[in-house]
Parts: sequence; C-alpha cells; structure tokens
Amino acid sequence: MPRILRNSHGWRLAAIIFSSLALSGCDRPDPWRLVEMEDRLPPLAFDMTSVQDGRTVTAETFRGKIVVLEFGYTFCPDICPTTLATLSRVLRDLGGRAGDVRILFVTVDPDRDAAKDLKRYVESFAPQVVGLRGTPNQLASLARRYRVAYSVTPAPDPADIEVMHTPTLFIFDRDGRIRLLSPRIDDPGSIEHDLRRLLDEPRHGGTET
Amino acid sequence: MTGRFDAIAQWVAGRRHRVLVAAVLLLGAAEFMAVRLYPASLPLWMPYEFSWGVFLATSFAALWYLRGFASCPDSRKPRRWRIAAYFAGLFLIYAAMQTHIDYAAQHMFFIHRLQHLVLHHSGPFLIALGDPGGVLVRGMPRRLKRLLDATWIRGAMAMVQQPAVATLLFVGLIYLWPAPPVHFYAMLDPRLYTLMNWSVTIDGILFWALILDPRPAPVARLGYGPRALLCLAIMPPQILLGAAVAFSTRDHFQVYAICGRIMQMTGLQDQQLAGLILWIPPSMMSVVGAIIVLNFLRLNDERVEATAMSGSMIRA
Repeated sequence: MPRILRNSHGWRLAAIIFSSLALSGCDRPDPWRLVEMEDRLPPLAFDMTSVQDGRTVTAETFRGKIVVLEFGYTFCPDICPTTLATLSRVLRDLGGRAGDVRILFVTVDPDRDAAKDLKRYVESFAPQVVGLRGTPNQLASLARRYRVAYSVTPAPDPADIEVMHTPTLFIFDRDGRIRLLSPRIDDPGSIEHDLRRLLDEPRHGGTET
Repeated sequence: MTGRFDAIAQWVAGRRHRVLVAAVLLLGAAEFMAVRLYPASLPLWMPYEFSWGVFLATSFAALWYLRGFASCPDSRKPRRWRIAAYFAGLFLIYAAMQTHIDYAAQHMFFIHRLQHLVLHHSGPFLIALGDPGGVLVRGMPRRLKRLLDATWIRGAMAMVQQPAVATLLFVGLIYLWPAPPVHFYAMLDPRLYTLMNWSVTIDGILFWALILDPRPAPVARLGYGPRALLCLAIMPPQILLGAAVAFSTRDHFQVYAICGRIMQMTGLQDQQLAGLILWIPPSMMSVVGAIIVLNFLRLNDERVEATAMSGSMIRA
C-alpha cells in the first residue's frame, strides 16, 4: 500500500480527489435527461420490411439519422398512440432539424398488423415515422437484442387478444450506437432536449455492427 | 440404473478425446445457429441466448466425469447418490442459463432471484455434494491436469477458499449484483449480465466445495466445526438483505419495467416476492449445509474409531 494511504491524511486526500472528480462529472453544463446507455446494449441491427415502400431495410438504411426505436401495434389502445403523439409533438418542435430523426415503429403483432394498415397508422402521426414489420424470427431477434419482452396471446374473439410489450424507447445516434433509453412516455421536454443534443453531435463514421 | 450409467461411461471413455471435442463443438455450433436464426420458433428448453461458455463448461464437466468414472477402479468409484447430486447440480445450472428460464429471469425480478438461487446456491451445492474433483481430474486431458496443478492456480484457490475471504466473497456478491445502480446495468448490458452469472456460479462452486468436503482437515482446507459455523455466518446478511427488499415500499428495480414484465404483477409485488426468495431459501440451504457437515463429522469420527480398533489405515 502506498505510504500516503497509510495515514488518515492520505485517506482524506483520496476522498477529496475522488469527490471532486465525482462533482466535476455532475458539473457538466447540460446533462442528459433520459437514461444514459453509452454502448451498454449492442449497436442497432435488424432486418425488416418497411411498410411505406415494402422494401427490406436494415440498420444501415438509417445511418446518419438519429433513430428512436419503439415497439407497439396498431390495435394498441393507449400506450402506443400516446407515445407516437408525444414523439410527433417533439418532431414538430424540432422544426427543420426533425428531418434527421427517424422513429422506427416495430409491430409486435405482425399477424394482425397488415402492411397497409400499419402504413396508414404510422403516416397519421408524422412523416418521420417508419412502420416496420418482420417475420416472427426477425422480430424476436430484434427484441432479444434489446432485452425487450413482448407477447401476443391469441383468443377466438379478436377483442380478447392480449398483446404485451414494453413502452420503452431506445434512442440511437447517427452511427447506430445506443445512447439513451426513455422509460417514460409522458416527458416530451426531456426527449426533445436529448434529441437536440444528439443532433448537435457530429457523425463519427463508425459503422461497426 | 447404475448398470446403464456404467455403460454410458464406458462408451464415452471408449471414444477418443478428440472425437468427443469435435462432437461437442458440432452440437454447439448447431445450437448457436438455431438460436441465432430461429428465435421465435425455439422450444422452451432451447437457449434464449446461446452461451458458448456455459455450453462448453457443462458439456465437458459431464464428459470428463463420465471418462473419469469409467477409469476409476471399482473400490474408488463414487457412490450412486454422489453421482446423482453432481449431475443434478450440473443440470440445474445448465437449465437456469441455457433454456428460456433465462428469458423469464431477464424480465421478472423474482425469477431472476430464483435463477441466482440455482446458480449461487443449489446448483453449486449439489455439485459440491457430488464431490466430483477426483473423478473429473481422472477424466480430463493431461495438459489441463498439469495446468490445474500450477502453483499460481493452487495459490489462487487457497486464497479464495480462505474462510474469511470465501465468506466475504459469497456474501459480497449477493450484495453487489442486486444493488440498484449495479443491477440496472447488469440486467441490460449483456457483458455485465454474463459476468454476473459466471461470478456467482464460480463463487458458489468454490464456496460449497469448501464447506461440503467430506474429508477432515488438514486434507480438507477447514475443519468440520468452522465449516458448519461458516454456513451459519452467511445467514444473517442474507436474511437482512432479503427482509430489506421484501419490506421496502418503493420499487427499486426499474429495469424490469423498462424491459417489460412478462407476468401480471406490479413492480412492488415482484420485489416483495424477490425479497422472500433472497431471505428464506438461502437460509434453509445454510441449515442443510451445516447439518450435512455435522453428519460428515460424525461419520468421520465413527470411521476413525473403527480404524483405531482394527488398526488399519485411515482412508480419506
């Protein structure tokens, strides 16, 4: 053990250094307001069909854009439309900069969400919302990648079909790296604030997946 | 039953080690591809996330045991209940990590605690009860045997199995991973998640192997009495943590809401159940462990007495 740590002065010194380091971390003028993720989940990667043009799209398609990933379904009674409405409001407030943001709305109920229904649904919110539909395996591997739970419990009466999914939003930077999570959907101010910060960042050009 | 087990062990021992390795790798690759490409079509007994580490570790733990068993002279073959305990422990650990139980554990706090009960307590407990060390060493390739004999490995083992260190590690890990700020990222970051599960499993095996060694000290690292005390020493901190989690009125583990719970349960209900799981079953395991150790003590005393009377050698 270094001598300086053997006496109490040393410990005090260490404590001061440590706390000033910790404080300087909080001292940043403009901290993130959502949950910081900084590469704690893998970079964006998927393989799905865009309902707008029927083409296969991957994470590469959206490189250079800030991506907000949302799971949901068109029959969703409250959470999904509320989230999409909130996000549309944020996009409106971002004005011209909203062009660099894409909301990827992934249906967890591809059986009932036909491409044309999903297209009509997402287009009713904002032009930056992209509806994505995948095969059950494509959907399951994207959900597993981000540790997302979802399930569709079939029932003879369509009104009784139970769909479960997380409302969390996953936010990626222009390089496809995960940066933020938004666990709550009722806080457009924080989402807008953090999206602006991400939009200010230059693209690093890293395209590793 | 023993006959069939003998036959399987003989069959495995009859294959060349290289062939066994190739078969395991092939099976692993097939499973890896299936899990990667067809996540939605997998039966629940298939892995949710495939782990080469867990797959290879459990496969070779089973194969080397079978090989070692086949080469044991009859007088040194382990008893049937030890074999059963060893494979039960191995199976529990595999099932907890490499089936869709892992999906449930990622999405419900109380199931996560059940998973850790298996990984840190009951799985390693059963493996240690099986006392597989000697048989495994017989069955593993010679090069690995030499590596395990290396002084730095022996030194590291002696250090982590030093009673104070072992207790601190065991309880420390139980406090570290559920600490809310740590837990949040451990459940999301796949690398931390892997580290968490491996750390508790390895620590569990080291700890329970120290406790459940059937031999007396000094062949075993610790005498029977101190080992029984160690079992009891790890109880109060776990009871305290379990009670704190169970009685808390605030949901401290937001990560499950973020990833989505898979059962109709509020965060608080999930947390209360998890608290009870942190609290009660580990304490019961401690008591069972202490009783087993005391029984070893009795058996050993009887053996010593018997040999003293007959004047023959003490067999460890």
